[in-house]
Amino acid sequence: MTSPTPPGSVSDDLRVVAPAFVDLRALAAAPVSVATWRGISQLVIGSVVLLLAFLVLTVGVATSLSLVIVVVGIPMLVATLWLCRPFAELERARLHAQLAVEIPAPRYPQRVGVWASWGGVLADSRTWAHAAYILVAGVVLTVQGVLVSVAGGFAIGGLVYPVVALASGMSHPPIPLVLMVPGAVLLLWVTALVTQAGSLALVRSARALVGASARAEAVEAARQAQLRAAQAEGRAVQLTETRTAAVGAADEERRRIERDLHDGAQQRLVALGVELGSARRKASSDPEAAAALEHAHREVKETLAELRDLVRGIHPAVLTDRGLDAALSALAARSPVPVRVDVPDPPALGRASTSAQAAAYFVAAEALTNAAKHASASAVTVTATVAGQNLRLVIADDGRGGAVAAPGSGLDGLRSRVAALDGTFDLDSPAGAGTRLTVEVPCAS
Amino acid sequence: MRIVIAEDSVLLLDGLTRLLVAEGHDVTGYTTADEVVAALGPSAAVPDILVTDVRMPPSHTDEGLRAAVHLRSLHPRLPVLVLSQYVEQRYARELFAGDVRGLGYVLKDRVADVDEFLDALGRVAGGGTVIDPEVVAQILARTRRSGLETLTPRERDVLGLMAEGRSNAAIADRLVVGLPAVEKHVTSILTKLDLPQAADDHRRVLAVLRWLEHEPTNGERP
Repeated sequence: MTSPTPPGSVSDDLRVVAPAFVDLRALAAAPVSVATWRGISQLVIGSVVLLLAFLVLTVGVATSLSLVIVVVGIPMLVATLWLCRPFAELERARLHAQLAVEIPAPRYPQRVGVWASWGGVLADSRTWAHAAYILVAGVVLTVQGVLVSVAGGFAIGGLVYPVVALASGMSHPPIPLVLMVPGAVLLLWVTALVTQAGSLALVRSARALVGASARAEAVEAARQAQLRAAQAEGRAVQLTETRTAAVGAADEERRRIERDLHDGAQQRLVALGVELGSARRKASSDPEAAAALEHAHREVKETLAELRDLVRGIHPAVLTDRGLDAALSALAARSPVPVRVDVPDPPALGRASTSAQAAAYFVAAEALTNAAKHASASAVTVTATVAGQNLRLVIADDGRGGAVAAPGSGLDGLRSRVAALDGTFDLDSPAGAGTRLTVEVPCAS
Repeated sequence: MRIVIAEDSVLLLDGLTRLLVAEGHDVTGYTTADEVVAALGPSAAVPDILVTDVRMPPSHTDEGLRAAVHLRSLHPRLPVLVLSQYVEQRYARELFAGDVRGLGYVLKDRVADVDEFLDALGRVAGGGTVIDPEVVAQILARTRRSGLETLTPRERDVLGLMAEGRSNAAIADRLVVGLPAVEKHVTSILTKLDLPQAADDHRRVLAVLRWLEHEPTNGERP
């Protein structure tokens, strides 16, 4: 069965179980409305259920208290109180079925061990609230029952009597019919309204006493939120750590590849170049052989130059061995555009981690390439400083500007690299006014 | 010439040895810096030139450079040609701190250009100075001296070649101009930068390098 009210929505109770109090049309139709007849059936069944519960509770509590002195009373009291929990569940189910209201179940404290769980039952305010509900609901249903039967009885009597009297030819009714019929009709509405009001009172008591306590729910929600926040925080810390480790591992791998290429292919090519060069010198007597060797030698030298550029692009050895300051000099020396490198305090740069220095190096390399290739710059300055806890790199050129870190571009990749180190990446490149790239990376990253 | 080579790549050491033997030199090769330092002790006969790699075992950082600096202090007249995987200004400064005669510092890859290598070898053995163009470019990028901007682009090129340790004849050859034109540029550069008109090449290299590396005084910064 689907519930018309979402769980716990107290304000909807009025509309569901006592619509006559909020809606004129519902008031007009009160004696024949669903809410009234649901209320009547609830009243009948609830009276029986609550009476039984009341008997069990009062007998149980009274007997337990009288037997406390011989100890047996304590487990009896616990058992009686404990019974209130399944009763509360039954009551929530009954109200759901009969009045279509959903009352959320409370959470009971879980204790391990016999004594602890007994203590838990006795100390649990919710369980005591269930017991109180039996008393409160008993009173509500009793009052409602009396009022509904009296008003309903008179209403039915007031409507049936005139028919019987007219049929039997009675000429002098004790009350004039002109008063009796409207009175009976009024009582019909009174009965309906009392029924709905009683339902409302019962549902409200149930929410307060057999449902989850609002305060306990708030505390529980706060505890859950705190738990989730702590989990999220832990996750963030873990992600930061693994991310830093991943960046470090990637840098380490680049260094390893560089070393392998240098010790392997590069050395072999240099040796091959030497061999070909000396062969060419010896072969000067045979022009054809000399030309072939000359060609091969040139090829090797070009391959060597390409390989050198490739290795520098992977990870320059000068960065590993001599740090960022020296690596920036090497970059500047190879740039086709005149570059001025300004490092006011070279030893300070050594305080930055290798990952931070590598990020700064590759940003500078890309910026210098762009300055020469796209910006048509005639001068570039590279400034590297340590500002507070950050390694700060500024590359400014006098080119045509308008640079953007488009997705997939070299600058975009470097922005991700800097972001992975919790750094900032600021590209200022107004059209026609040069490009200024400012990157800050935490030294400790 | 009697040549000592320190190079940890056996393949390259073999190639160089064969090349130099074929050129009629007497070559001894070592694969670690320690071996060279031991072989060229205070009482050892000084070879005509030492060729050493920078990155060598055990730490693969700058053993070769430190060995070169040490041996130069032991044998001030020992010509040394330092080969390096990368060239770096501060290494250069360390190496060229004293007398620059008979000193060379070039990218290792340039060895593959055999003619260039033999040329550099001969110049260093003959007491000349050879500095890799990349080092000169780095020094030029880092210099804070004012005065550079007063040079014409051609004069800057000539200054760079002077800093590489080239003679006027070599510069003329490289720039494909006549010797008188180079001499005119050199005189102009030395005047603009307020440098002495040095008669020999190595004093000129020294003057140019000192000028470029000199830290600016207040107000001198452009």
